[in-house]
This record gives sequence, C-alpha cells and structure tokens, in this order.
Amino acid sequence: MADQPDQSRRNFLYVASAGLGGIAAGAVAVPFIGSMLPAADTLAASKTEFDISTVAEGQLVVIQWQGKPVFVVNRTADMLERTKGHEDNLKDPNSEAIDAVQAGWMDTPEKRTLRAIKPEYLIVVASCTHLGCIPLFKPTAGQKDWGESVPSDWPGGWHCPCHGSFYDLSARVMNGSPAPFNLYVMPYKYTSDSTVLIG
Amino acid sequence: MIDKLMNTAVFKWIDDRSNIGSIIREHVTEYPTPRNLNYMWNFGSLAITVLVLQILTGIFLAMYYKPSAAMTIGGYTVAFDSVERIMRDVNFGWLIRYMHAVGASAFFVVVYMHMGRGLYYGSYKNPRELLWIIGVVILLIMQGAAFFGYLLPWGQMSFWGAVVITNLFGAIPVLGDFIGQLLVGGFAVGDPTLNRFFSLHYLFPLLLAAIVGGHIHALHVVHSNNPEGIDIDHDKETIPFHPYYTIKDAFGVCVFLLAYCYFVFYNPSAGGYFIEVDNYVPANNLQTPAHIAPVWYLTPWYTILRSFESKLLGVIMMGASLAILFVLPFLDRSKVRSARYRPVYRQMVILFFVAVLTLGYCGHASATPVLKVVGQIATAVYFGFFLLLPFVHKFEKTKPEPEGI
Amino acid sequence: MKHAWSSLVFATMIVVMPAAASASGGGAHLEEANISLDQETLRKGLEVFTDVCMGCHSAKYVTYRGLMDYPEIGLTREQVDELRGDKALLSGLLTELTPEDAAEFYGKAPPDLSVIAPGRRGGGDYIYSLLIGYDHDPKGEIEDGNYNKAFPGNRTAMPDPLAWLDHDPEETADLEEQARAVSSFLVFIGDPHQLERKAIGRWVMGFLVLLTLVLYLLKREVWKDIKKH
Repeated sequence: MADQPDQSRRNFLYVASAGLGGIAAGAVAVPFIGSMLPAADTLAASKTEFDISTVAEGQLVVIQWQGKPVFVVNRTADMLERTKGHEDNLKDPNSEAIDAVQAGWMDTPEKRTLRAIKPEYLIVVASCTHLGCIPLFKPTAGQKDWGESVPSDWPGGWHCPCHGSFYDLSARVMNGSPAPFNLYVMPYKYTSDSTVLIG
Repeated sequence: MIDKLMNTAVFKWIDDRSNIGSIIREHVTEYPTPRNLNYMWNFGSLAITVLVLQILTGIFLAMYYKPSAAMTIGGYTVAFDSVERIMRDVNFGWLIRYMHAVGASAFFVVVYMHMGRGLYYGSYKNPRELLWIIGVVILLIMQGAAFFGYLLPWGQMSFWGAVVITNLFGAIPVLGDFIGQLLVGGFAVGDPTLNRFFSLHYLFPLLLAAIVGGHIHALHVVHSNNPEGIDIDHDKETIPFHPYYTIKDAFGVCVFLLAYCYFVFYNPSAGGYFIEVDNYVPANNLQTPAHIAPVWYLTPWYTILRSFESKLLGVIMMGASLAILFVLPFLDRSKVRSARYRPVYRQMVILFFVAVLTLGYCGHASATPVLKVVGQIATAVYFGFFLLLPFVHKFEKTKPEPEGI
Repeated sequence: MKHAWSSLVFATMIVVMPAAASASGGGAHLEEANISLDQETLRKGLEVFTDVCMGCHSAKYVTYRGLMDYPEIGLTREQVDELRGDKALLSGLLTELTPEDAAEFYGKAPPDLSVIAPGRRGGGDYIYSLLIGYDHDPKGEIEDGNYNKAFPGNRTAMPDPLAWLDHDPEETADLEEQARAVSSFLVFIGDPHQLERKAIGRWVMGFLVLLTLVLYLLKREVWKDIKKH
C-alpha cells in the first residue's frame, strides 16, 4: 500500500451507500406494512344501512357495523326526561372530550346532551370505552329492577359487567367509572325518514 | 461503523453473556476469504437474499391466502378467489404476490448458477463433499417447496401439475400407493391435498433456512474454494470478509435486484415462464389443459422422465438424475479441482451445462418426435457426464496449477 | 476465458427462451389488437362489456364500486348507480344468465371473464381476433356462427357476439373499434393494478440504478487495497 487511498472519497461512498440502503429498506417496508391495513373490499363494506322504524318504543336493538356491535335505542319521552338532572355526575355531559365524536350535526346544546340527530333514536357503538366489553342495558330508574348492581340514584342507562362502568340513557359515562369517555357516536346520517346509513 | 457498534455498552453487555462478538468476528467481519473469488461466488449470498425475500413475501401472502377448494360462483374456488383478492383489493397485494412468483423462478436461477459454479471450479471435491451434499438436500427441499407452492392458486396448471407429480410418486414400486395417499389425502387431488400442501409449503422454507445454516457452517469449517481450485495459505492469501466481500455481495444483490424488479414491475408472468397462462384458468378436474408442462425450473427432470418408454424406468431415471448429485464428490477421482486446469473435465462440464439447458428446453416445448430424440440424447449426455467422471483422471493431462493465488 | 461458460449459459438462455415461447404459442395467426388502457377506450370497452358480453358472461372480481375506484375507468357515483340498477355496489359484474340455462342454450357455461386476458395465449390480441374471427368454414363442415378462425380447433360455442359474420362493410371500422375497446377492457380487468405497477416500477428501477452505481464505485474504491498486491 504505497499510496494512501482517498479517505474522503471512500467515506462519501460509504455514507451514500448506507443512506440509499436505508431509504431502500424503508421503501420496502411500505408495501408490507401497508398490506396489513384493511383491504379495499373490507373498507368498501364499511357502511351499514338500517331501518330504524323496526325498533319499537323503549326497545334496544344491537346491530353490526364494521364487525362491531352498535346500539340503536328508541327512547321514550320518559327516558329522554331521565337524561336530565344528573349533569354533575357525568364526566363529559356535553360531548366535548373527543373531537372525532363532535359530529357536524351536534350544533345545539340539546343535541350535545341527547347525542342523536333525531332525539328519540340514540345510535352508539356498543363497546365500553374502558376495555371494549358490551354494557348491559338497564333502562329503568332506581334499584328496583337491578338490585345493588346500580347505585341508588340510578337514572337508567348502561352498566358494563366487566369493570363496572355506568352510562346514562344518552350513553354518557358517569363519574367513578373506569371508562374515560362516553360511548362513541359513529358517523351516520338519515338517507330517508326511517333509514340511517351508518359509517 | 461495525466497530463502533461493537464497542457500545449495550453490545458489550450482550457479548459478555453470549459471545456474539467473537462469533461475528470469526464468521462475518474477519472471516478469512480467498482474495481472488470472481463474481460467480456472488450467487451464494444471492440465494440467501432470495430465500429471505420468499419467506418475507410468503408470510404476508399467508395473511390473506385461504387454502380451500370449496367452489364459489363462476367456477372458481375459495383459494382462487383469495389469490385474486390479494391481486385486486389487498394494499400492494399485487406487488407482494408478483414478488413471490418471480422470486420462485429467481431462486432457481440463482441456485442453478451457484451449483454450476461449484461444478466448474470443483467446489464439491475433497474436503467439501459434505458441503455439496447439504447443498443437494437444499435443492431437493426447494423443489418440494416450489411444487407445494405451485398448487396453492388452484389454477389449471396447479391442479394438473399436482395430479401428474403425485401419480409419478405412485409409480414407485411397493411404497408408491402409500406415498401417493400421503400426498393426496383422498381419492384424487382435492381439498385435503390443498390444505396439506399449504401446511408443507409453510414448513419447507423454514427447514430450508435451518439447513442453509448448516450449509454455511460446513462452509466455514472447510472454507471457500477459489477459481484456481488450489489450497491456499490462510494467513497470506485471504482477506477479511468485511468490508471486501460484504460490499461486493451488496453490489451483486443490487445487480440481481435490477433484473428481479424489471420482471416484478414490467413482466411478472415472463410470458408464461414464471406464471403460466393456464394457471389463470380455475382448476377443473374434468378437463386437462391442451398444453401441459411444468414450470421451467423443473423441465430438465421432466424431459428425463419423458425420455423413457416405461413409466417405471422414467420415474427411476428421474430420481436417479437427482440422486446421482449426492455421489458426485465420490465419482470424481481427480486431484485437481478447478476446470481451469482440467482440459477434459472442462469440455465435459460445458457439455453437461448444454445438456441441462437442452433438457430444459425439450421439457417446455410440445413433444415432437425430433425433440424426443434430442431429449434422449441430452439425457444420455447428462448421465454420461457422471458415468465418465470416475475414469477421467486416468487419461486427463491436467495443466500445472499455480503456486498461490 | 474466465467467464466463458457463464456467458455461454446466459447466451443460450437468451436464445432458447424466446424460441420456446414462440413454440408454445402455437395456434392460429392472431390479429394485432392495439390494446390501449386510456380512459376513453376502457369506458367504451365497459359499455360493450355490459351491453353485449354480460348477456352471458360475468366478471365477478370486478365490482361496480371498482368502476368508480379504479382511476383508469373513473365513473362517477351517478353513472355507476345508473349502470347497476338495483344491484349492490359491492356486487361483481354478474350476468343474469344462470349456468344451467347457459348449458342448455350453448352446450356449456360461458367462462367468467375477470382473468380471461391473462388466461389465454395471446391475451388481448386473442380476444380481439376471436371477436372478429367469425367466418364461413372453408371446408363447409362447421356451421356459420360456430366457425371461428382464431379459436383453437375453429369450433366455438360462443355465438358471434358483435354480429361480425356477413356484416355491412361500412360497419367494419365500428365493429373493429368495439372489439378493440372490449379487448382492452378485459386486459385491464385481468390485472387492474398494471398501470400503477409500471408507474411505481419506473421509480424503483431508477433508484436501483443509482444504488448499484454507488455500490459499484464503493466496491472499486475499497478493493483498491487488494488489487495492489
């Protein structure tokens, strides 16, 4: 090795190779990770149509949307009345905690507390925001029907059997529950008087 | 850079408990490699590259592929539908599937070149006999993996290829029916066959990875051959693997990727060589395609099979053509390794390569009387190479080998 | 001489592969279809497909939604709604002809056309040649409507879909254009990501050329240490 190799040229080529190699590795990761995201046909099947006139007054129906359960409740006037008066006991009475569920139609204080486009029809994702169990529907007030499983001032709503979260009849989470948020309101709209398009 | 990495506290902590540092030094960075290896020695690292690509793409394809021959509308099956879903709906599914399909062919190109290099430069000879034998095991497992994988899309060629090859095993005396049943799992190629082929197609590459580890271990015991084929001075005539061969191999991988990506992006079916035209027709057990031939990498053996009138003899000779590779190191008695210094062997091995290519061509083309004779001649040359080998050293005047490299 | 044999192997492969390909092509002479995957041709091809082919054939892997989602076709929601009528958006392009009826009318069920182009030797050219290949059998053995120059064996069960046989010479250009358009459409749906693939391929190849060049220079630079001995 009579003459010294040109170290700066060599270093430049090392850095250039390593840099380009890194870019290549990153680029290869894109299609592989991308392929694990939902496929086009899965995404295309992301909307569910439902005829709400099939839900009788005071009744709860569980339907499927994107493979998840969804509650549809036809609330009676009495049930609507019982969503009021316990605002102090709610974590987020006006549905302000998550931007994503402050839907465009939530433009009046009443819609924010009733959390529905048509006040009587509450449509929410049926997964407890704590760890995803499906809460039990306990619509009547007080402990008469439910015993000690609900507090004595129970206004009616949902009780999650897994870790004891409580939601009122607008699916708003109550203080003392492990669940951090109200049950999610997914995007939906009415395509006719009685048909909702969920998703 | 590697030195810096190996000096970090984390690395030292691991090294104290695993000795990984000295393993890396001994087998990668400072591994002594002959200084005169030519580009034919790149195909080993290329084969590993393709194996990794195949396993990686395969794992992701398996997330969407469904091994079921249950019929769906339009004469398709669940398996065929799932492949088309990968091609159409899965994000980049088309890319991953074409990478896998082109990769299958690329794997054989690379491994055949790797074997050809071993033949030409006498890399199979003492002391590397076991290294060569492990390599032949790798070839057989690769062929098995390719055969299992080819059934999965459940197209016409998948189905009829499996029918033909499972029947072929059926020709083996005594055990034939038993082996045939183990492969098919029913009265004919069908849903159970597809399920077990999928299972085995997932298993074989993992076996392959393990045996490749053994292949490399064996290599590092006896060390690399070199183009001159002579024993070298391990202190003076070698250079450390890193950076010289890591960079040369990386360059080789890039050249390979250029060709590979050309096919993946511009010509994934390669005019029917990588994905056969008839495999876009869903499997139909009532109709054999008019033109049926195996994928190109299996055609040499297919021609040997066809060259014999008797079914049993054809199957035996086809098996023998692969089995004879195991004993190759013991057939060759010459002390000189590289064909550079063996004028007769050099002619023989070139003729052998031509014979293999001819066999490959004959197996792909439609059978005509002329091609049949050509195929028989090539078969004779193929076996002639091995049969002549034990005697070559008696009359071959080898050229003087150099003192060093 | 060092690489004599490897060059020989490559040279032989290059010679042998196209030769084998043409040998396996076989069959009748095919007309050049001039397949084109521009939006105008593909929409025209879709129209021919839904008006003519879908009388008997399906393309189940192509959904109505796909006609909106593939930018190569790019129909609007309104156009798709009009086309699909009361069929679901996620339904494939399915014919109303049942396989049983088809078998009764034509002797066998018409194949699904989703992957017909990659599944036939000659691809788009073959489909084009088939559509304009109806003729009178020169030997007079096969009846009109079943004789086709391009079909292997010349006897096809598919009745002349474009009414090519004995057509008014003035219509030739129009019928050829319909055949070309629908052939192009079938080539497209056989592999709907093919244009995207080629577009991405340009970047990949360009990048790889650069990386190969840099690694080649690095290899030469580093190996200077060795060559000097």
